[in-house]
Amino acid sequence: MKSLFCLLVLSLSAFSQQMTDRAAARFLDQATWGPTPEAIAVLEKTGITDWLEAQYKAALSDLPDQPLLSSTGTTNENLAPVTAAFYQNAVNGPDQLRQRVAFALSEIWVVSQTTVPAAYAFPPYWRIFRDNAFKNYRDIIKAVTLSPAMGTYLNMANNNKANPAKGTAANENYARELMQLFTLGLIELNPDGSPALDSNHNPVPTYDQAVVTNLAKAITGWTYPTAPGATAKNNNPPYYFGQMFAVEAEHDTTAKAIFNGLTIPAGQTAEQDLDTLIDDLMAQPTMAPFVSQQLIQHLVASNPSPAYIQRVSEVFSGMHGALRPVIAAILTDPEARADDDAGATVSANFGHFREPVLFLASMLRGLNASVGPANTLNGYSQELGQNLFVAPSVFSYFSPQYQIEGGLLGPEFQINSTQTSADRANIVSTTLYGSLDKTTTLSLAPFVDQAASIGNLVNYIGYVFLHSGMSTVLTQAATAAAAAQSTPTAKAQAALYVILSSSEYQVIH
Amino acid sequence: MFTRRGFIRVTTASVGSLALGPFGLLPAMAQSASNYRALVCVFMFGGNDSNNSVIPMDDTNYKAYSSIRGSLALSASELTPTVYSTSNAPYAFHGKLPELASLFSSKELAVVANVGSLVQPLTRAQYQAAQVPVPANLFSHSDQQAQWQTSIAQGNGATGWAGRVADYVGAQKMNASTFPVFFSVAGNALLGTGANTQPVAVSPGGNLNLLGFNSSASSQARYDCLTSLLTTDSGLSLAQAANNTLANSINDATNLSNALAKGTPLKTTFPKTTLGEQLQQVAQIIQVASYLGMNRQIFFCSAGGFDTHGGELETHNALYPQVSQAISAFYSATQELGVAENVSTFTESDFNRTFQPTTTDGSDHAWGGHHMVIGGAVAGGQIYGAFPTFELGGPNDTDTRGRWIPTTAIDQYGATLASWFGIPDSVLPTIFPNFPNFGSQKLTFLG
Repeated sequence: MKSLFCLLVLSLSAFSQQMTDRAAARFLDQATWGPTPEAIAVLEKTGITDWLEAQYKAALSDLPDQPLLSSTGTTNENLAPVTAAFYQNAVNGPDQLRQRVAFALSEIWVVSQTTVPAAYAFPPYWRIFRDNAFKNYRDIIKAVTLSPAMGTYLNMANNNKANPAKGTAANENYARELMQLFTLGLIELNPDGSPALDSNHNPVPTYDQAVVTNLAKAITGWTYPTAPGATAKNNNPPYYFGQMFAVEAEHDTTAKAIFNGLTIPAGQTAEQDLDTLIDDLMAQPTMAPFVSQQLIQHLVASNPSPAYIQRVSEVFSGMHGALRPVIAAILTDPEARADDDAGATVSANFGHFREPVLFLASMLRGLNASVGPANTLNGYSQELGQNLFVAPSVFSYFSPQYQIEGGLLGPEFQINSTQTSADRANIVSTTLYGSLDKTTTLSLAPFVDQAASIGNLVNYIGYVFLHSGMSTVLTQAATAAAAAQSTPTAKAQAALYVILSSSEYQVIH
Repeated sequence: MFTRRGFIRVTTASVGSLALGPFGLLPAMAQSASNYRALVCVFMFGGNDSNNSVIPMDDTNYKAYSSIRGSLALSASELTPTVYSTSNAPYAFHGKLPELASLFSSKELAVVANVGSLVQPLTRAQYQAAQVPVPANLFSHSDQQAQWQTSIAQGNGATGWAGRVADYVGAQKMNASTFPVFFSVAGNALLGTGANTQPVAVSPGGNLNLLGFNSSASSQARYDCLTSLLTTDSGLSLAQAANNTLANSINDATNLSNALAKGTPLKTTFPKTTLGEQLQQVAQIIQVASYLGMNRQIFFCSAGGFDTHGGELETHNALYPQVSQAISAFYSATQELGVAENVSTFTESDFNRTFQPTTTDGSDHAWGGHHMVIGGAVAGGQIYGAFPTFELGGPNDTDTRGRWIPTTAIDQYGATLASWFGIPDSVLPTIFPNFPNFGSQKLTFLG
């Protein structure tokens, strides 16, 4: 009796560790650029814990450094090799989780080519997020603040202290967005992401205009790295390799009253002021829910429950901004995993809409794509409103607060219009019936091979693209579309078209 | 929740009509130009420093302007020749806005000075003492962009003022068709989001047609499977939102391509810029408005890059010609189409910028700014509202950097436009809920 009990426990335990196709594919849709049969098999074998460990150590994908000048000697503004490499990495790179996290971070800490024309600025900037994706948020604050790309984008570079003779004041650009967009947000938050209210039940602003003006003073006195062969000046011209350095003569050393009653003391160097500021930012309890909610939205769900946000933000604050446990907490949270068991009841508001880059990359991964080094896939994400490295403003491609009808949050919907929703369906059509570009090839063979039985075909598409959980109506529609075709290839194409253009696929849930 | 617009038409549109675009679904509405009205918003994203768009040239103001603006001050050679208002006051436009200066001289352009987001009127003393409600999250791009579009300074407006106008147009059946009143050529815009009506967004030169279908039975079957899913409640809220947008797109596609097929090339030459192409598309839609069954339309265009914290003069020199030339070409196109009196174009932007420059030859986020309204119906060549006193720490400044407290509210600006568009006075407060806080006082730049 006792031994039987042990056996039962053992087998139950073993059973609970064996991931289903559904569970593995769902997880991969949250943690990678999309499931593939191979990736599903690997995850089923290793389980989530070992899979995460392997991903932390996976070989790094890179974006290639670009020449400073074009062939005609002007600033090289050609990002095509960089965006092509981005898509190669996304579709075929080994460090899938790192890339997804880095991309999410880069959509918070935006630098855009709209005001930084030099293409060579972007690979080093991207590496900040790649290299720190599993490190600490604090490291990202400092690395971005001293990045020459951000130096140009939000005027950190050559932001000299006020000049009374000229009647100028320190530039407020980076000071404001550092707080509003990168670290604190506009209002104080509870750990569960809800607004912290004052005694009159009003939200509490995290800062006011005076704090912006003062914080601007604290970050004066930084200039671009000195280019090789050039002579260092107080205000160097743009140069995008390396970090900015302090020029104390241009730093405002007065005391600065900042947020939450804190003061950056007088007489400090530029670097001391920056370190004090970052210490003070990291100490704000509102940072944990502010950052956690956005990371959840990028990876798992637009409308996480307050409890989910709280569980993650407690990890963020408890681990002092360490991102590896935060990412693990996001991906292994009961709310993220709730629908892993077929038949589980999940919130009707769960999931998030695939942003264009994720839509393209995941579709291509599922279709066994081979993506060449000269691919032009970014043209399609641009058509859908997500031109890589060219966000329209520091507010990124879409706002984490964007609301859809009925008041739900749906950030990615901000760029889903009547135009781009038609474009999205048309890109599915081009993928299946035409050619996305000259260097991207697909293999529909695994799908065509199943097409002798439409039931098997639709089932297989559901395994690759819909976590083995396709709804009855979508199954019926795809089946009907395939049944109206005559050849196995046409059946596979028709079923794939209906499924990949469906909202059930476009909304990861 | 799937009840937005008459989706039923999707299921009656055949695959053939989708691919070939035959006309006949819509009766070509006989419509006289005098009955048509359109508003065209040109949104300058980033916060245009309108302190440098139009400048009072009387000695007192220009001296204060030159002295305080320092490195940002435009010299005579960087300004248009002085133009005079109908009350004979001297002004100059930025030298890269010559077409707009010319429209001011010919009384087809009005300037509305120091307009911005307000809950209610307030003074510097009231602002500094925090005695009077002020707009939510002043000086924040996202919030102030939203407030210009919602006209709800308290924040959290879920619909845009033009969307609410569109709701009224829809409810009153002011158009012969259910094609969207709000037409964006610059993506989704809160301005046009209504409670009961949804905007349409089309890229310049684009259409909403679905590719890859023909009239074969196999193709038709695939198309029917695609569209059948749009009317099915999957139980997922976000999937329903995606379905609704694609359903709207399919719903609008045939009407749009049928109408555009009736268009003839415009003689007016538009600049090949983002804004030029957008406004060209707007003119082409206006040309075929009768085929869309439209008597009232609101269009949305935008240009970006106005967040000039640094290098402002160079940025303006690059951007302003685009704005000036595109708006001027569009006005010419409305003349060509015989609808100059029927179309009013107006500017919006996040906020004005600090009058005091930054150490990086730019300016920071501020508040009240100067805007322009262009059209044959505009009582142009005049300044409406009042310029602020050019003084740091002066009576119009929030602090010491020249962030002007607006003296005219967005609500007044919008209500004037909406009133001309055909919204009765009695309805204005439902569209502009703060309008009564300003004595329900419209401006007089449109008759």
